Amino acid sequence: MAVHKGRGFAAIEYPTGMNQNGDPSQAWIKVKPDGRIDVFAGTSDIGNGSKTIQSQIVAETIGVPYEWITYDNSNTDSSPVCTGTFASRATFVAGKAAEKAALAVRARILEIAGKELEIDPADLEIVDGEVLAKGAPQKKISVSDVAAAATWTYGELITGTGAQLKPYASIVEPETGKVDLSPHSAISYASCAAEVEVDDETGIITVLRLWQCYDVGKSINPTLVEGQIEGGAMQGLGLGILENCYPYYPSVEHRGGEFGSYLTPGMEDMPQIDTIIIENPSADGPYGAKGIGEMANNAQPPAIASAVFDAVGVWVTELPITPERVLRALEANAEPRRIGKLVIFDEELSINTVGNGPVKLEVLV
Amino acid sequence: MNLSVNGVPHNIESAPLTSLLDVLREELQITSAKAGCEQGGCGACTVLIDGEPQRSCLTPVVAVEGAEITTVEGLGTPNDLAPVQQAFTHHYAAQCGFCTSGMMLAAHAYVEHGGTEDREAIQDALGGHVCRCTGYVKIIDAVAAVARGDSFDATLTAAGTRMTNLGGVA
Ligand code: FES
Ligand code: FES
Repeated sequence: MAVHKGRGFAAIEYPTGMNQNGDPSQAWIKVKPDGRIDVFAGTSDIGNGSKTIQSQIVAETIGVPYEWITYDNSNTDSSPVCTGTFASRATFVAGKAAEKAALAVRARILEIAGKELEIDPADLEIVDGEVLAKGAPQKKISVSDVAAAATWTYGELITGTGAQLKPYASIVEPETGKVDLSPHSAISYASCAAEVEVDDETGIITVLRLWQCYDVGKSINPTLVEGQIEGGAMQGLGLGILENCYPYYPSVEHRGGEFGSYLTPGMEDMPQIDTIIIENPSADGPYGAKGIGEMANNAQPPAIASAVFDAVGVWVTELPITPERVLRALEANAEPRRIGKLVIFDEELSINTVGNGPVKLEVLV
Repeated sequence: MNLSVNGVPHNIESAPLTSLLDVLREELQITSAKAGCEQGGCGACTVLIDGEPQRSCLTPVVAVEGAEITTVEGLGTPNDLAPVQQAFTHHYAAQCGFCTSGMMLAAHAYVEHGGTEDREAIQDALGGHVCRCTGYVKIIDAVAAVARGDSFDATLTAAGTRMTNLGGVA
């Protein structure tokens, strides 16, 4: 009877943004007479930071300081349509709508600045709240003055809208599943390595470390991205060893009992979490961004399952990997034999976890 | 009966066995204490009773007659945040915010009682608080920062300190 350490690894791909299903987001931007920017969008911010991210996108696209942006997603009557914050789409889909609206506003600002400066708008750029002549930055006018001119001289409202929609995809070849749209462009790739300790007497698994590697296309705000990945790590750990999934919720047979019988990971369950962000840009996300929300809790359960196999030589093929399931799996196997760091449960099927012993690997699923 | 919340005296009309949580939320309309499990399991309802973090969902209001109750509103104000509130903002320690009031009050009491930045000690002190969003990493960072006595630029949030320069439109 002993505690065994093991490491496991899992890789996933995840279609972030659900963008083949007729799933629109829209944004509307107006510029106030002092040049400050109001963004209206329906994307709720559930703590994921979509307000911050979309404000950043608008600020960068127009060329004004972040602090100039007021992002109003408080009212679905006054905001354009957005189906919401789900399916890892807030940045990828709604952020793109915000970017398009910002491009339209930028074009209007340049036009009016062009009249004021008597320069072709194509020869102008906007940097940090000022419209400058390319190559002759002493010729300039602030965005605030452009907005004032629009209001008081030209009698215009500088405004712009943007919308993002990938239409509903229909299957055109049932045999192959081929659809009538170009492929989904925001497939993200991620991997997770887990280090666990398994007590072969109690069946208790302790997750010691999670290394997490996530491709987000473009990390528009690394702090917010980390927040998603770290939160996902603990959710994935929960799905791996503590929490029951209830896929048919809210049917009454498919839900937990009271709070205390549903084990959500707490601080004491925390492993050391190492987060690595990879930027592999998408073709049509804002600035190459993809989504990060949902895929962040997918790779941990299989990584933990394979770490458990590495530790004690049994595959537990049902989640969560509870102590009972570990013990039943161990019982179903022969007594383990240990040679140094090599744990052998079954001479036929065991794999060499560390040393140079005989390796015979079968796919056991 | 009388109850002082954040230094303001109140005359309570709810029945004596009403939970302190219900009195705060329903009678006094102080909704920062959250009704999570209402079984003592999640920590979202935590308030300070005479400076000690307690679960208000399990506390009959009659049991705290005459006590001083502190909710997050009593820690600081938007223009004068308490260190723990600054640290949570600065470290992006709140996502949906449901656990945050309880976490901050427990963290405040932990530091007031001389808690250090030791990660395991923080995990011990806050272990009864469930957070579904953050994975706890940034909460522990925030509590450690308060324990160290870090100071923060109040104008900057965590998200604000690390905005990627996207390069704008070429
Ligand atoms: S609501 Fe009181 S502990 Fe959960
Ligand atoms: S921030 Fe959502 S539960 Fe903690």
